[in-house]
Amino acid sequence: MRALSIAATGMVAQQTNVEVIANNLANMNTTGYKAQRAAFQDLLYQNVQAAGAQSSDTGTLLASGIQLGAGVRTAAVYRMTTAGALTSTSNTYDMAISGTGYFRVQLPDGTDGYTRDGNFQLSAEGQLVTQQGYTVQPGITIPTSATSVTVSTTGLVQVTLPSQTATQTVGQLELTRFPNEAGLKAQGDNLYTETSSSGGPQAGVPGSTGYGTIQQEFLEASNVDAVSEITSLIAAQRAYEMNSKVITTADTMLQETAKLGS
Amino acid sequence: MDNASLLNLSYQLAAFRSIDVIANNVANVSTPGYKRESVRFEEVLEHVKPAEDQKGSQTLSFVKDAGILRDLSDGRIEQTGAPFDLAINGSGYFAIQTSAGERYTRNGHFTLNADGLVVTEDGDPVLGDGGPITIAPDDGDISFGADGTISGKQGQLGKMRLVDFANPRELQKQGNSLYSTSQNAGPATTASLQQGMLESSNVQPIVEISRMIEVMRSYEATTTLEKSSSELKRTAIQKLGTVQ
Repeated sequence: MRALSIAATGMVAQQTNVEVIANNLANMNTTGYKAQRAAFQDLLYQNVQAAGAQSSDTGTLLASGIQLGAGVRTAAVYRMTTAGALTSTSNTYDMAISGTGYFRVQLPDGTDGYTRDGNFQLSAEGQLVTQQGYTVQPGITIPTSATSVTVSTTGLVQVTLPSQTATQTVGQLELTRFPNEAGLKAQGDNLYTETSSSGGPQAGVPGSTGYGTIQQEFLEASNVDAVSEITSLIAAQRAYEMNSKVITTADTMLQETAKLGS
Repeated sequence: MDNASLLNLSYQLAAFRSIDVIANNVANVSTPGYKRESVRFEEVLEHVKPAEDQKGSQTLSFVKDAGILRDLSDGRIEQTGAPFDLAINGSGYFAIQTSAGERYTRNGHFTLNADGLVVTEDGDPVLGDGGPITIAPDDGDISFGADGTISGKQGQLGKMRLVDFANPRELQKQGNSLYSTSQNAGPATTASLQQGMLESSNVQPIVEISRMIEVMRSYEATTTLEKSSSELKRTAIQKLGTVQ
């Protein structure tokens, strides 16, 4: 009886669904977090009787065939790359990306990581770093004596030094985009790394064609929609229950069969 | 085995198959574009010679599964917000290029690959009017029109190939939400595309669960019948075998 194993694939799929939703809800207030969704596909079919096969010598055809399914599988857990709301923080080194692109940071192992979490700070040397202390690339050093720091929408970082009227440019922020940003691999700590599915990074100046702009003193909130997550959670729970009901029914039928001989 | 047992067996096998098909429907309640299936049974009549003291011919009625019917009605359209999630309203299919040839699907959850091609979750390219569809990063936000027109910042990029068939029930399921067929694919005339949406499975939980209970109860009835027929035989053997 395959109903048992089919229902089991359904329960596993719904469990994955609940786990994905739980992670989204847990990260509702994570800066730059992108909601994830589980994508399902049906499993292979066993062909018992093909539709369109001849049913007599005179050429009449079977109108419908018999194909038995084997259940469901989780094809992917994909990220929704829609933008989150930009929230004002009044913090000089908070930067949000409005539109396409990622900040590039150098990971401790020397490789590049990418993030949309622009909650930056200064290191002891005055370098712009992430919360984990990873340097934002290309490196930008803010002089300790700077009285004010301005980041333009095009990523130009300018400082005002004491006893100077003109502002001084200390660096230019870059944004990186990918042919398929949904293919980036999440590393935790709001960081992503490049994969063969995301395609190679393409660096550009903020505000140029195809790149977003930078909003200083703003952070990008997560794009998780609590209401839709909760409704999906209820739907997933009900689907899980239904699959377990199928198992109970199949079990009852098998018990009936076992009792036949007694 | 006697006829009563054989008749019961034919129904029990049919009930098992029904439950398998219902289980597959329930398991795929969250699969986008999934179409629910139901088993169609037919009666198989067998004429047997009448018993010695009876007149006329006796007919035994067996049950046999004739086929599995796919319910082609549209599923609910659910909003996801992902730019490459597309739902088809009305009759029609997306054309997918796979290594085994052209396949068709109603599961419109697509994504881009590293080369900027629009692909399914398995990496197979989705076909437009002129073959696979490539989106360049400079195209910005992509929008899909109701007729399948794809446009970006720099104008029209192509058109989705939406197809339809003379007999959509004949399409064979291949798993991974794909269908194959030997029929010629014609352009879909009644289909319209919606972006940021997915067509959910058209499985109705209440229908499946009540159908399942129905099958289980009639299965129980056949086993009761089987038990009493076996009881009948046992009593007959005991009574007839007793030396008076």
